[in-house]
Amino acid sequence: MTRVLWVAAALGLLGTSLDAQGVMVAPHAVYIDHRVRSGSVLLYNPGTEPVEVTISTFFGYPTTDSAGAIVLRTVAAPDSTLPSAAAWMQAFPRRLTVAPLERQTVRLLARPPVNLADGEYWLRLVIAAKAGQVPITGVSDTSGIQVGLTLEVRTVIGVAYRKGAVSTGVTLSNVRAQLVGDTLVTWSRLARRGNAAYVGTVRGRLVDSAGAVRAAFNSPLGVYFTMEPRIATVVGKLPRGRYWLRYEVVAEREDFDDPRLVLPAPVARDSVQLLVP
Amino acid sequence: MNRLAPPLLILLGGLVLVRHGAAQAPGASVSADAVVVTVGIAMASLRDLAFGTVPKGVATPVLPTAANAGAWQITGNANAFVSIAFTLPTQLTNIQALPGSTMPIAFSATSAIWRRANNNPAGGNVFNPATGATGRFGPPGNPTLYIWIGGTVNPALTAKPGIYRGAIIVSLTYL
Repeated sequence: MTRVLWVAAALGLLGTSLDAQGVMVAPHAVYIDHRVRSGSVLLYNPGTEPVEVTISTFFGYPTTDSAGAIVLRTVAAPDSTLPSAAAWMQAFPRRLTVAPLERQTVRLLARPPVNLADGEYWLRLVIAAKAGQVPITGVSDTSGIQVGLTLEVRTVIGVAYRKGAVSTGVTLSNVRAQLVGDTLVTWSRLARRGNAAYVGTVRGRLVDSAGAVRAAFNSPLGVYFTMEPRIATVVGKLPRGRYWLRYEVVAEREDFDDPRLVLPAPVARDSVQLLVP
Repeated sequence: MNRLAPPLLILLGGLVLVRHGAAQAPGASVSADAVVVTVGIAMASLRDLAFGTVPKGVATPVLPTAANAGAWQITGNANAFVSIAFTLPTQLTNIQALPGSTMPIAFSATSAIWRRANNNPAGGNVFNPATGATGRFGPPGNPTLYIWIGGTVNPALTAKPGIYRGAIIVSLTYL
């Protein structure tokens, strides 16, 4: 069993003089194994006021819209064709108050059906934090009217439940690239294989005719079914000439401290030529 | 519940880092009961949305680029995409008057801006807070995302004095 709690990095925020809103949530993705059937999420309140937190779950997964933007598709009542864990995963407690500079743990407990097939099942965990009043400052009105807004912050993270043998992979096709001003815009079609989400990174390298890398980008993403992401990167003004975009999708994530959580998969590569007139 | 000073909590984060279990074969299921990332997600308010003087009968707008726009900084995973969604009020309620005393508040298609790794709304990505947007954290070393929001309140000439309140919900979803 691997048990890792690693929360320090995000707390760099604490060194600032910012007024905290809501709670810090770590990790931003939870993986639960069928043999353990439980997991946890750490909440930390870096602020000076207590924060009321409500926990809820729903089913959803990232995909892309017609413009290539990555969006979350939610399904209120997922049928049996969708790998939803929302019906049998529970979070405890569902309501809590996190005092200033204190932390609390939310436990996730799975009660999967007995005949659950091998594979990966998903849900989204919503951590809703009422962060107190947002005062409207500077109001010195002559009409006796003051306006204030309260703020609630909802952090939504992914939870994956894995049972038995799980595998993943991605098929890359239709890679395209275009320079728009000083920005390199790329598109591709990514189709997941296997029975688990593909969690990885898109790496792009823009190489000139001499073989020099003129720009590069890394974009972490998850392919749950099929998506066609649009990724834009500022590359500056490029001299005239021919360039190659080397585009690859790798099953690696810098933000996962335990690389074993990222399922292995072959690298998918393609390249396209760009001409700067 | 544990009460920890921030530096101690950071230290604890390091102390509880425990790895065990043998490496597993490719494709094998992974045993894990809690995960395993180097960052979480945190949101901080940089500035409150401030309408200033609100005269009756006059719409009072705040642009997202204005110095009195609401502003937030979100710290997360470098380069990661995140869905930004707002649940916005259409009416603010006077909490000091009899029920039914309200004031309209409106948000336009250009009332919000997000920008990665740069705390300056000028040149950011304008979006409609009612429909949301897909933002992106900054690169390693500055994995931040900034959001600004403005709006317009329009108290009627007959608006009753008092404090008007409403709620904004900001939803941030790791994608």
